[in-house]
Amino acid sequence: MEKPDINRRSVLKGIGVGATGLAVLQAASGQEPLASRAHAAEHASGGKLTLHAIDTYYGQTRAGLQIDLSMQDEEGTYKLVKTVETVERGRTEAPLLEPGELNNGRFELLLHFDDYYQRLEAPLPTPPFLAKVPIRFGVFDAAENFHVPILFNPWNYSYYRGS
Amino acid sequence: MAGITTHVLDNETGNPGAGMKIDFSVMEDGEFRHVKTVHTNAEGRTDGMILQPEETKIGEYELLFHVDEYYRAKGVDLPDPPFIEKVPVRFSVFDTEQHYHVPMLCTPWTCTTYRGS
Repeated sequence: MEKPDINRRSVLKGIGVGATGLAVLQAASGQEPLASRAHAAEHASGGKLTLHAIDTYYGQTRAGLQIDLSMQDEEGTYKLVKTVETVERGRTEAPLLEPGELNNGRFELLLHFDDYYQRLEAPLPTPPFLAKVPIRFGVFDAAENFHVPILFNPWNYSYYRGS
Repeated sequence: MAGITTHVLDNETGNPGAGMKIDFSVMEDGEFRHVKTVHTNAEGRTDGMILQPEETKIGEYELLFHVDEYYRAKGVDLPDPPFIEKVPVRFSVFDTEQHYHVPMLCTPWTCTTYRGS
């Protein structure tokens, strides 16, 4: 479904921007990071990736919504970078990717709505209409901040490029 | 009416999203199996239902909306990669007697889906 030539091009572009994001991927896959600390410092002025998950069912996000961050590799497969949980009010404790860690490419946030609402004992059918929801977006200029707000409830969700 | 339907609305222009490609898949044995590819008509709907009531079973489904191709075909200058590209919407049918209308409201910078009627 994805065009491999485009993927390869954007991965190469990503390497041009900074290798730190690759280091994050490699760290997730248990390999030794390529990027040196000096390299990270060089790109410290780059953009970061943040999110804000807003629960419009309860009106205020409770802590503990699990989110898996993945980045697409050159074969077009989304590879897990890290798993985080939201803190109270729907943000994460730290940016998902700090300046220097963010590279151009295709990303996915997998939101575990099913576990979240089950834990809160929301009266939902089985299986729930929304279970594990993928939010996909592209980062085309890693020098900019990418903030991804997600408004959700058991029946609907919405996301956009925030600021 | 039961079954699965969709509707694409282009919130960039306020028009129905005509000509958008949608891949429909069904979860089987832990993987999504592609069932069919459809395109929206001038009203932003599909000519037939995505899935007829008698074919609809309890389980998980995916609609993959090719939002990037839709906007590129309209001459919209998208970044590479686009912020909103191909958007998977995964949802479950929990009662085959009910109708599942799953619309997509999109722009190049935002998208929304919900259980409609």
